[in-house]
Amino acid sequence: MTTTTTTTRYTAHGSGLSFRGLLVSEWIKLTSLRSTVWCYVIMSTLNIGLGVLLAISFQQRPDATALLDQGYWVQSATIAIAFSQLVVSVLGALVITGEYGTGMIRSTLTAVPKRLSALFSKAMVFGVVTFAVSLASIITAAFLAQLILNSRGLNIDLADGRAWSALTGGAVFLTLAGLIALFLGTIVRNSAGGISAALGLIIVAPIVVQIFAAVTRASWAQNVLEFLPSSAGTRMYGYVATPAPNIPDVVVVDPAQGLLVMIAWVLFFGIIASLLLKRRDA
Amino acid sequence: MIEATGLTKRYGSKTAVDNVTFSVKPGQVTGFLGPNGAGKSTTMRLAVGLDRPSGGTITINGRRYADLKAPLREVGVLLDAKAVHTGRSAINHLRALAATHSIGRARVDEVIALAGLESVARKRVGGFSLGMGQRLGIAAALLGDPATLILDEPVNGLDPEGVIWVRNLARFLASEGRTVFLSSHLMSEMAQTADHIIVLGRGRIIADAPVNEILALATGTAVLVRTPDAERFGALLAAPDITIAHREPHLLQVTGLSAAMIGELAASNCVVLHELSPQSGSLEDAYLALTKDEVEYHAGEVAR
Repeated sequence: MTTTTTTTRYTAHGSGLSFRGLLVSEWIKLTSLRSTVWCYVIMSTLNIGLGVLLAISFQQRPDATALLDQGYWVQSATIAIAFSQLVVSVLGALVITGEYGTGMIRSTLTAVPKRLSALFSKAMVFGVVTFAVSLASIITAAFLAQLILNSRGLNIDLADGRAWSALTGGAVFLTLAGLIALFLGTIVRNSAGGISAALGLIIVAPIVVQIFAAVTRASWAQNVLEFLPSSAGTRMYGYVATPAPNIPDVVVVDPAQGLLVMIAWVLFFGIIASLLLKRRDA
Repeated sequence: MIEATGLTKRYGSKTAVDNVTFSVKPGQVTGFLGPNGAGKSTTMRLAVGLDRPSGGTITINGRRYADLKAPLREVGVLLDAKAVHTGRSAINHLRALAATHSIGRARVDEVIALAGLESVARKRVGGFSLGMGQRLGIAAALLGDPATLILDEPVNGLDPEGVIWVRNLARFLASEGRTVFLSSHLMSEMAQTADHIIVLGRGRIIADAPVNEILALATGTAVLVRTPDAERFGALLAAPDITIAHREPHLLQVTGLSAAMIGELAASNCVVLHELSPQSGSLEDAYLALTKDEVEYHAGEVAR
């Protein structure tokens, strides 16, 4: 046969799949969409804008202590997280559901037929960028708030290690909240569904559990609430001036435990998303 | 070389691909022909691992697609032109795909030029026409300079110039020794592009043969005869194994007689002919004849 001699010329040549290549690919994908840029701009504006607003509206209290002042400062820089977590969840879901909605996922999965490395590289790039943007905007808010508060006669201690871990905790929380949304999006494969699921977990679930806890006065319901992402998050970026009262049977997690709770949520949805992505027809 | 063995795909109770075995050889264009819903796209999706077979295997150069070390460099795929994020520009789409295999920027620019997309490369894909989307999909398939090309309905939505471009491209790629597997429901297009044709109907292979053999399956060869004396000449030609159809008042379609014999009969009977043209059996006819049998076969099965 004449064809067999010519085919030997066309064996695969050049570089193959690599995880580094996948990271570059996901970086190009993330940064080449307007929705990404807009979400990060909105998140930064919220973090900085609300922080400055809260610092400006500072009222000197008669019972003020240095610790309370430090608490007010950290609160100024992290107050916007309650809102920016919604933005980051929407973006996290869109990063993957945008591919399902447009059909891009078929291009992605034919380029990366093993699939899981495509999801992991996407999560990694999204996580790192989100952490960088969150941290930068929270720290900017903290510096501006410190300038404003000091001009009002306070003496904010920038060397307060606990304050810095709360600020970093806020950025880590936003990142993990975004990852939960990304994995929920992978499970649901639909933008509206993914965003709804993520916001449901962040906004609706705590309200439902809270109502249930209030009606039944059950301590376990109180404890469930403590382990939902939004509550675990507030522990991560909270700067507690006075320790919480010790109520029997009611668990209060500390910042480190809050981080572990969030990681557990990410892993939970991450594992389900991975199994489904691997198994399902795309 | 693409090889399917006993390939089967069921979605619930519906069998989209039913125990299909075939091979697609390098160095030629293999057409994958069949009506909509015949299972062509499903077979192609199975080939590149987007769907998981319910039974059987499909391999590319002896390996499952998912086991390839550099899939984009071995196989170029166009499954549908819409496998692109609409918010991204064409160039960024190609850059993102190329990056997975560390394919350089130079190659991205090369395929953009090859597909004639230079003027729209920086525009968002959402505004692309079907034809431009199709060109982008083909550009993406060519990124890795692959030895095997799997193109699902590549001429869909292309203008005549684009259709010729795809035809020449497919023939050129095959002439270089690559495996080119393309599907279409346009039989006439296949007749001009493919060397070998696999006809699929209702998830099963109806025919798998070189294009001229498929053409030869067309039942009989018709001759068009135009004459002002159609009525009389028609009656003259009439015989048991000859079919005569009055297409227009002065036009007959004769099957069962060669053009030469009709000409001689006309001369000996003093009939004036304005036109005498043999119609070679079209792939279209062959295809319709083939799929008709398939439908009848299924109807019989149901009636049992």
